[in-house]
Order: sequence, then C-alpha cells, then structure tokens
Amino acid sequence: MWTWPAEVRTIFLKEWRCELRTRYALSTVCLFAVTTLFMVSLSIGPMGSSEELRPVLPVFLWVILLFAASAGLPRTFVHEEESGTADPLRLCASPSAVFCGKALYNLTLLLVLEAVVVPFFIGMLDLPVADPKSFVLSLLAGGLGLAVGSTLIAAMVAQAQVRGPLFAVLAFPILLPLLKIVVDASLGAVLGSPVDMALGLAFLYDSMITVASLMLFPVIWNP
Amino acid sequence: MKTALRWFLWLWMTGLILAALLWAPLAQNFTGLMGDAPQSSRIVFFHVPMAVASFFAFMAAAVWSILYLVKRSPKHDYAAVAAIEVGTVFCILATVTGAVWSKVQWGKYWNWDPRQTSIALAILFYGAYLSLRGAIEDPEVRARLSAAYSALGLVVAPFLFFIMPRMASFSLHPTPGSAEMDASIGSVVIMGIIGYTALFFWMQNLRARILALSSGEEDLYSV
Repeated sequence: MWTWPAEVRTIFLKEWRCELRTRYALSTVCLFAVTTLFMVSLSIGPMGSSEELRPVLPVFLWVILLFAASAGLPRTFVHEEESGTADPLRLCASPSAVFCGKALYNLTLLLVLEAVVVPFFIGMLDLPVADPKSFVLSLLAGGLGLAVGSTLIAAMVAQAQVRGPLFAVLAFPILLPLLKIVVDASLGAVLGSPVDMALGLAFLYDSMITVASLMLFPVIWNP
Repeated sequence: MKTALRWFLWLWMTGLILAALLWAPLAQNFTGLMGDAPQSSRIVFFHVPMAVASFFAFMAAAVWSILYLVKRSPKHDYAAVAAIEVGTVFCILATVTGAVWSKVQWGKYWNWDPRQTSIALAILFYGAYLSLRGAIEDPEVRARLSAAYSALGLVVAPFLFFIMPRMASFSLHPTPGSAEMDASIGSVVIMGIIGYTALFFWMQNLRARILALSSGEEDLYSV
C-alpha cells in the first residue's frame, strides 16, 4: 500500500487546520503586503501610474510579494521545532511527503496572498495589463518557485540558532534569478510584449529548484 | 615533491607577471575612454584568470559538498568551506579589477552588465553560505546544512553564468570563444588561468588543513 499521497494530503490539511486556528501567517503576510502596497501607492501619488512609471510597477509588485513571503513562510518549520512537534513528524511521514505537504501549503498561502494583493495593486496604481493570461502565468510561476525555495530554506533556518534575519539572507540569493525572470515576464505582460521566453525560463527554474529540493530535503530534515 | 611543486607554482606566477607586464602586446581596441590609457588592457591577464579561478572554486566547493553529503567525512566539509572562503576572495578581486577596468574603459565602475550581475549574486550567495555557518554551533549540523546550501548553488549557477548573460541584449563582455585577440595575449591569459587555478587549489589546501588542525583532526591530512 503506497501511502505517500495520503501523507502529503494529511500534512497539507494539518498545516491549514493549524493556520486557521490562529491565522498567524495569513494575517501577517497579507497585512504586511497591504501595508507595503499602501506605502508604494501613497508615495507614487494620487495620479496613479503615468506612462513613464509603468515599467517600474511590476518590480514593486514582486518586491512586495517577496518580502511578504519572507515574513510569513519561514514559520512552517520554525514552528515545528519550537513546539517540539518536529520529531513526531519525522517519525510518521517520509521526508518527501513532509516537504511536498509543506510546499503545497506555502504555495496555496502565496496564491491567496497574490489573489488579495494583485487586484488591490492593479486598482490602486491604475495599472492596465495588456496580456492578462501571461500576467497570471507569471504570478503562478513566481509563486511556485517562491514557495518551493522558501520551504527548503525554512527547513534549514529552523535548525539554526540565530533565526531572525537568516531566512532573508539565505533565500534572496537563491530566489533572485527567478525574481529577475518573473519581473521580466510580468513587465512584458503589462506592456503587451512577448513573454514566452521569460515564462519558459521561469518554469524551468521552478522545475530545477523542485528537483533539487526533493533531493536535498531528506539531508536537511533528518539529523 | 610537494616543495618542488610549490616552487614551480611560484616560478609560474613570476613568469606570468613578467609576461603580462613586459612581454605581451597591448590590446589595440582597449585604449581607454580618452585613448590615454593603453596600458590598462594589461589588467586582462589578472582579471580574467581570477574570474575563471573563482568559477572553478565554486564548482569544486559544490562537488566537495555533495561528497560530504554522501560520505559524511569532515575532511570534505573542510575542503568545501576552504574552497568557498578562498573562492570568495578571488571573486571579490575579480569584481574589483573588473570595476576599475570598466571605469577606465567605459567611464563607470558599475553598470549591471550581466557578468557583473552574476558575480555580485555569486558573492551574495557565498556570503549567505558563510553566515549560515556562523549561525549554527553544532559542527555536524553546520556541515550538513551548509553542504546542502552549497549544493543548491548548482541550481542557481546555470542561470547566473549561462542563461541570464545571454538574455541580456547588451554586454561589455565578449561571449566566450567569439573574442578576437592577439595569439600572444591569448596565450598569456591561458597561462594566467592555469596559474591562478593552481594558486587557488594551493591556498584552498592550506586553508582546509588549518581548519582540520584547529578542530583537532590533523590526522585527516598527512602533511
């Protein structure tokens, strides 16, 4: 009897059940993003985006998403180590199931965040999107890579003594190539220029980081 | 034998410096912004070999890290961290010499040329590696997690060194293989690459032995 899919589903559901009890990550991540968005919108001014400003806006969007993610996602593993539930989890599920469950949870959390923030962002900054389909695809590709990369780095950070700023220090160099690519893709979607190349590279990055994470996670997770 | 090799390396480096400064001809198309700094092209004999050696350094570090994850011998951990420490020094030197050269030739120290982007991110990545090591006290956990992080660099490296430089429409650097240069300039550059790579492995070996000695495991290396 192959129990792997059931393990993944159980861990995924457990994460969401714990999350909905406190709503800690959800509220932190969304409030962080919305606050930053207000700041950006306020400093750009009431005119919204002028023609010259438009190419800069996707960068703001991704910076907001990246920092919001780094405020909320590291908790997935830090919480397990702090409350002493990491060892039982090691016993009752295979490492790859733990990783996939947690990465799926982080991915859905990020997608909720994007669903909240992106309409706000487009509305408040008055940003017309020429190619909505590619724009959504770039959000998906970026969200996937961000979720998988953050899950792996979070597992490392949870085992370190000094946790505070370590997540950002470790995650940003890994995620920067992806960010550069998805910013290009979002920008192309906003301006209506071709984005196939950038989207392809983003999904290539996603698959590479997923494969590498699945290979490395057992080493990080098992002491 | 080891002493002879060391002397050979020192003679080689002396020969390189003499050849670079006295024998090699000047590159005709690198005469400086005002045409008043023809000698500045000689920096190529140091800048390019250091950049290549730092690339080898990080590849070697990733290989040692993976070896550590497979065999779990502290020897490979020391080798990997020594490679990254020494490699970071080479990386910084390559960046600084590149920035100086760029200022002389094009008037700006920094312009986010794709290769500058790659090397800046590489420095960030290995800085993150070193701060991860600083954040963990248990030597076994430290070795395990930092080896996993360094192996993760193999996912990022192709994007940094091969894909992103080719995505950019413009670069100050020639694509490898397409640069036309004087045969004698080319031979001194290759002499430099060999010399600096050997210098790197010599320094890395010293550093790894120091690390082993200071943790009381000197018998790992037969000196």
